[in-house]
Amino acid sequence: MRAAGGRRRAGGLRRGVLNAIALLAAFLFAFPVYWMFITAFKPADEIQTYVPVFIPTPTLANFIKAINVPHFGDFARNSVLIAGSTLGLALLIGFLTAATLARARIRGRKGFLLLVAIAQMAPFEALLIPFFLVMRDVGLYNQLPSLVIVYFIFTLPFTIWSLRGFIAGIPVDLEEAAMTDGASRLGAFVRVTLPLLGPGLVATAIFCFITAWNEYFYAFVFMTDVQNYTLPVWLASFRTSLGTDWGATMAASTLFTLPVLIFFLAVQNRMVGGLTTGAVKG
Amino acid sequence: MIGSSTTAEARRDAPGLAEAPSRRRLRAGRLLGRSLPYLALLPALVTFLLLLGYPVLLVVEMSLQHIGLKELISGTTTWVGLSNFQSILGDKLFMAATIRTFVFMAANVALTVVLGTLVALLLDRIGRIPRLLLSIAMVLAWAMPALTGSVVFQWLFDSKLGVVNWALSSLGIFGSWLNHSWFDTGFSTFGIITLLIVWQAIPFVAFSLYGGILAISSDLIEAAKVDGANERQVFRHVTLPGIRPLLMMLAFLSIIWDFKVFTQVFTIRQGGPDGQTITLSIFTYFTGLSQGRFGIAAAVSVVMILLLLIVLVPYIRRMLRTLEDG
Repeated sequence: MRAAGGRRRAGGLRRGVLNAIALLAAFLFAFPVYWMFITAFKPADEIQTYVPVFIPTPTLANFIKAINVPHFGDFARNSVLIAGSTLGLALLIGFLTAATLARARIRGRKGFLLLVAIAQMAPFEALLIPFFLVMRDVGLYNQLPSLVIVYFIFTLPFTIWSLRGFIAGIPVDLEEAAMTDGASRLGAFVRVTLPLLGPGLVATAIFCFITAWNEYFYAFVFMTDVQNYTLPVWLASFRTSLGTDWGATMAASTLFTLPVLIFFLAVQNRMVGGLTTGAVKG
Repeated sequence: MIGSSTTAEARRDAPGLAEAPSRRRLRAGRLLGRSLPYLALLPALVTFLLLLGYPVLLVVEMSLQHIGLKELISGTTTWVGLSNFQSILGDKLFMAATIRTFVFMAANVALTVVLGTLVALLLDRIGRIPRLLLSIAMVLAWAMPALTGSVVFQWLFDSKLGVVNWALSSLGIFGSWLNHSWFDTGFSTFGIITLLIVWQAIPFVAFSLYGGILAISSDLIEAAKVDGANERQVFRHVTLPGIRPLLMMLAFLSIIWDFKVFTQVFTIRQGGPDGQTITLSIFTYFTGLSQGRFGIAAAVSVVMILLLLIVLVPYIRRMLRTLEDG
């Protein structure tokens, strides 16, 4: 009895230590995000101090300064337009492909899946030079559609993998039952499978949107006119153009990050599986 | 989609028609029905083979040509064989960037996978509330755009007003850190970039592995414990074999991502100080777009693709195997 009690106490202690480590880790993971938010709301005198202020007297001055940068409206509109078009295009073609791969009996299915997997691994950082040349040759350099095309190619493989997984997860029996009741093949798919697919579609759409929204490298290289910049290009130029106005820089970072955080929190459960299942489970 | 609805209708109507349907029409419909799935795959196929395949071919072609700004404008091409490759292999800066890229990648991947595994094991062993808090904190770090991360880390590690220097000084372990500059040397700058990348990469690895650990049957673990296995043995003989395929997959993905990373390295110090953090991605950008030596930049890109291919061969093999099983 005593031994068991001792072991339980030792187990409790161990658990306590692990819980403490977990809380410390949680603090380390969350702190940079907290610090960005809190700095964004600080008045200048609470930023320009050696001893940091952890709970500020909130002000919106930094946000006002951040959005009063010339062309801010253009940057926001460009980002929404590009991310939205990428999402639409990737989802449309991705869905068509995924539904076919998941439901139709076709030859060369495995070869096609392998092609998708390889495309997903394409090193876009190493393809900047040829993409730059192609866009220049077809007159899309410094034009918003050039980014939509690149981001579409970039997100399509994942979209196909992810949607194929979601569609395959819905039993085909349900569709067959609907077909016995007189629905057509397509009608059964639209009326039975599509509604069940909602959450998966939303998660995939958000992934496409976030990828396009966050992308910096190509946007930085392709967009030369200020009015064609996207939000990441604006954010990256902030530190240099404003000197060391950390308040405004953090306000800009917060504005740029907030939509991503909200979307991400909404779908993160589905995303964890999405990126690996395709490759691990086949 | 329109096409597929007509065949579907044809198929549904066929048995119900009063007079015998025209046999030719039926055959045409069936042929269309059989080729429809292939037509549906066409847009994606064109995207991969043409929109993605052409730039890949083009970069190989460019790497064999002399292309500067002059040739770019006049549109003339001069084939130079492998001389671009000869010149980069003889370039000390290129070799330094290659070694740097490898060391940087190895450090990032090792830290990400090891720490990610530890966090996954931790998630499996803690109470409900600490687990929830840790999960939320990790989602925040994971969701942060890479660009925002680089900007925020520069603020955290600012030499004068940064909260990190204040915290280290207050702890007083290593003396005073006030005005310590983290971006003076290449090593220290890489250290911050690695911290940033690993901070953002752990959550995905940890969550995936935690899912993998949960999927291992608890009966298996109980049985091992009944047989007298201690915790380390349970990990080595039950948990680790269970998550090994996932672990491999995550390591592959990390290698691929960390090998070509651009945003974090570039936005923190643009390859500085003194070019000491120029990795291959940044090297391509500088030689190609800043200096206008497109042939050379293309050759560097081709080397990058080849190096990645070496890493990718086992991954593609694995894909082939899982596809055959499925």
